[in-house]
Amino acid sequence: MRLSSQTTLNVSRNNKFSKCIGQVTLACLMLLSFSTIGQSVSDSQDRVTVDPPSSSHTQPVKAFPSDSAHGWLEKMAYAHSHLNYSISFVLLKPGVDSQPYLWRHGVTSEGVQMEQLNLLNGPGREVVRIENKVSYFEPNVPPYSLQSSVINGPFPSEFFQQPDEIKDSYDFVMVGRSRVSGRAAQQIRIVSKDKSRFGMNVWLDQETGLMLKMNLVDLNGQLLEQIQVTACHVTEQPDDFFEKIEPAMLPEVLKLRPQSDTKAIWDIDYMPIGMVEVKRDIHRLPITGQSVEYVMLSDGLVDVSIYMRDSQNDGINQDILLRHESDTLLTLNKGTLNVTVVGKLPPETANRIASSIHLAN
Amino acid sequence: MTQKIENLSALVDGELHDEQLLDAIKNDAELADKWQSYHLIRDGLRKEMASQINIDIAANVAAALASEPAILAPKKTWRDLPLVGSVVPFAKQGGQMAIAASVAVAMIIGVQQYNQTDVEQPFNSAPALLGIQGGLSPVSLEQTRTLPRADASEQRRVINAYLNDHKQQLRFKAAPADDESEVELYETEQSNNVERIPQ
Repeated sequence: MRLSSQTTLNVSRNNKFSKCIGQVTLACLMLLSFSTIGQSVSDSQDRVTVDPPSSSHTQPVKAFPSDSAHGWLEKMAYAHSHLNYSISFVLLKPGVDSQPYLWRHGVTSEGVQMEQLNLLNGPGREVVRIENKVSYFEPNVPPYSLQSSVINGPFPSEFFQQPDEIKDSYDFVMVGRSRVSGRAAQQIRIVSKDKSRFGMNVWLDQETGLMLKMNLVDLNGQLLEQIQVTACHVTEQPDDFFEKIEPAMLPEVLKLRPQSDTKAIWDIDYMPIGMVEVKRDIHRLPITGQSVEYVMLSDGLVDVSIYMRDSQNDGINQDILLRHESDTLLTLNKGTLNVTVVGKLPPETANRIASSIHLAN
Repeated sequence: MTQKIENLSALVDGELHDEQLLDAIKNDAELADKWQSYHLIRDGLRKEMASQINIDIAANVAAALASEPAILAPKKTWRDLPLVGSVVPFAKQGGQMAIAASVAVAMIIGVQQYNQTDVEQPFNSAPALLGIQGGLSPVSLEQTRTLPRADASEQRRVINAYLNDHKQQLRFKAAPADDESEVELYETEQSNNVERIPQ
């Protein structure tokens, strides 16, 4: 800088119109200094950073074809299970305060996958996953672990790991590029094939393939739920947090009681394309203690609970349709049968499922 | 003069030390001015600029004030006639009130539009469903007044039970299939002796 100051002034020294030039230089300098200030501000806003790209984790990602929605989702799945990342995001739901989360993932040198999800507001909820053991730490409940490879959180973890699983039920559409969380992003729309379920819009980071934003929208395109990433750091080494975890100190895996042999009493005739029955049992509801026959349907992205019980036991025999956050709850009474469908479904679909239930032959 | 400025520039760069020049700067306003701006330029180039630049504008303001024409007495206009003078301000006031009123209306409209955010949308009327006898009452947890009073709290309890159980089932869904069964975290009651639902 010292050198250039001399050159500028040397030039002006040899110039007849030095006064004039001096003023122009001053004006330029002021402009320059202001633009530098502006630059530093925008730098600090650009909080999503990717640390020096190393051949170890960027090369294989780039190998995926990036011109098809399918390729992009594969890239996403690879990134979410192989990269070391730390993502801050905010979950927005109608009628509920926004919920900020911290989501970290790391793969140790031995290849062990570790994942942590932490709700940052209030008394806190924390979920830690080490390979196939997921430990939940929540207020009012003693900590416990489950044997599972996915965290039950605000986002569809299974979809991030195996997007292929839902290709029978949903179409993937490339939409376009835009800027999300300060990064270049590729938008992909996920639409159910039979228009029976809500759609999703996912924005993936152009460089890493990580999720930057996710919108759950109803069939009219109205926003139901949103996840917005606010900061995303990809690092070469897993976060220090994972080193501090002592696997031996995590709570015991819950021993689940063997399933009582239940014969299907009710049949479900209509299921949306790609949905399958993943669970059926008889259990008691919390709070009221009513026993219900329970069926869970799932297509890999949306899980639907169906409760069937005799409607004679109590005075509630009104049909109900309500939306709680983004869940739809529908109760139908058909004679003595009371069917309740709960899940992230359009009401029309919930009604169609509930209406199709009848006694098994 | 050009020579002086050149020397000044060299002085600022630390290439020249000339007592005579320093004296000249003290006495010459134009040189003093230059001295200041060269320093500013130098600081700028070295990125040593203060975050707030204090450029002395007092002299310019003083000069501007000095050149301002002094107003001694207002000119007489038609407004100063006794009758017109009292009417016109009233009309003026009315105009102002009209503007204020229209701003208020605009604000009310603005607020109404603002309140119709899509967040509320899902809670309002559910689309009518086909094929259901008796119709459906759109109910939400916050808005249960469409129900009979006595049933309302019981119904809410049942709804909460379903919603809670749904959440719990989602969590246990991922547990392995072979020993998958009811696990009651929030309840101590055993559910092995669950009654069969009457057929």
